[in-house]
Amino acid sequence: MAIIETKNLTKHYILGKRKVVVGLEKVNLEVNEGEIFGILGPNGSGKTTCLKLLLGILFPTAGEAYIMGKPPHDVDMKKHVGFLPENPYYYDYLTGPELLQFYASLFSLEAQTAKKRIDQLLELVDLHNAKRLHLKHYSKGMLERIGLAASLINDPEILILDEPTTGLDPIGCRDTRNLLLQLKQQGKTILLSSHFLSEVERVCDRIAIFHRGYLLALGTLDGLNSQYQATNLEDLFVKTISSFDNQEAAKTGDVT
Amino acid sequence: MKKMWLIGLNTFRESMRKKTLYIILIFALIVIGASKLFSFLTAEEELKMIKDVSFSAIEFFGALMAIFGSLYAISTEIERRTIYTLLTKPIRRSDFVLGKFFGVSMIVLINFILMTVFFIGLLFFKKSPPDLQVFKTLLLIFFELILISGITLALGTFTSDAFNIICSFFLYIVGHLTSYGKELVERTENIIVRGLTDMLYTLVPNYENFNIRDKIVVGLNVSWGYVGWTILYGILYLCIALYIALYFFEKREI
Ligand SMILES: Nc1ncnc2c1ncn2[C@@H]1O[C@H](COP(=O)(O)OP(=O)(O)O)[C@@H](O)[C@H]1O
Ligand SMILES: [Mg+2]
Repeated sequence: MAIIETKNLTKHYILGKRKVVVGLEKVNLEVNEGEIFGILGPNGSGKTTCLKLLLGILFPTAGEAYIMGKPPHDVDMKKHVGFLPENPYYYDYLTGPELLQFYASLFSLEAQTAKKRIDQLLELVDLHNAKRLHLKHYSKGMLERIGLAASLINDPEILILDEPTTGLDPIGCRDTRNLLLQLKQQGKTILLSSHFLSEVERVCDRIAIFHRGYLLALGTLDGLNSQYQATNLEDLFVKTISSFDNQEAAKTGDVT
Repeated sequence: MKKMWLIGLNTFRESMRKKTLYIILIFALIVIGASKLFSFLTAEEELKMIKDVSFSAIEFFGALMAIFGSLYAISTEIERRTIYTLLTKPIRRSDFVLGKFFGVSMIVLINFILMTVFFIGLLFFKKSPPDLQVFKTLLLIFFELILISGITLALGTFTSDAFNIICSFFLYIVGHLTSYGKELVERTENIIVRGLTDMLYTLVPNYENFNIRDKIVVGLNVSWGYVGWTILYGILYLCIALYIALYFFEKREI
């Protein structure tokens, strides 16, 4: 059974009386337990919208979303989930350990367990030398890394990462990729989004390509490549998106 | 319940470290301190002056802290997007809203205590230790400040910051003018004007109820009964405000 599931998940942003922006349109996704699943798509394609709907930050216009069979507002389900938002930003006046301690307390972790985990995580994301620095003084890459640590504080079974590599340098990207593989080995399920076809996306077991809120293609990279006669991820990306745009243009009668 | 506390403590800790509210506090202390500069007054008049200015300063600067504290409590979490991480933790949205309210209340309480200690120190210095009436006045001011926090917090769950500030200050001013308004209206013949103002009078928080300093300063006594009823009024109004906050925040998309 799928551990993350959406059924016809739809989100329309109502901006005014007659102005509606499609955030997500009838998306059906199933993420299996233990896999790394990547949502790829250009900016504004609905990746963040999809993740926010899954986590109950936004409410769907139509359709349903489930994590471990539970709806997004389920509080207990969230004990098993870790989330890293896009361009994470945290409380300026806390230090890294204080931030992790605060989140640990929200999961009701025992003081001993929490302390041990915090030390491990700071080591893992290589921030143990910045223990006394306020987050205000963190660089973008450091924030991304403390965010990753924060999303792992509860040792989650499911990890949801929104553009985890945006602020990272090539070495940070490689480290993240290795970390994701390591977590997968521990049996975690990972759902990540990205607009940027770095190597991290290549660790995905399956990918979904989003464009203008629509799910255009879904499958393993090899499967999709042969389906669309593409040579690599970038080629696949361009092919699916331009064929969609051409179809849309044909529908509205434009000549391309 | 426990998570609400944790969120409140975090809010409190952040704002203590941020130190922005200290500016208001320092200003308040200066005003209270300055009230004893009127040395040309007789000792008795000077004491009245100290009390009058101090009560007013504690109330006014406390209100500023309550309004800005509540405003920032929710809106910075949203602006900074820290709320995404917070709401994806196993907490209910109500834990978040009530936690923020507790956090702001703690900020208001600490600043209130600091101002009060300074004021009472001044009274001791003037060899006029505070009596029970002074404490009643302060108690009511504190409940007024908590009510102001609750109302600004509630407004913040469904309006923009700019609108919230305008509304909060509008309510603060109108809420202190209600008794004048009532008197004025009693004289008008126009039924519509009367109806509208009557409605406004019931809806707007009657902050003036909490103001007994004019009486206390001139040496009149206010009964515990009045203090008790006013506190009850404040708590009831606060519950309504928090209920509104919970209702709107539950449905809010971020
Ligand atoms: N709060 C919002 N209000 C209105 N439109 C929004 C809002 N959030 C996102 N959108 C729109 O929805 C679409 C999808 O956005 P998003 O999910 O953020 O895309 P992505 O994460 O793939 O870049 C975009 O067209 C964006 O402009
Ligand atoms: Mg996005």
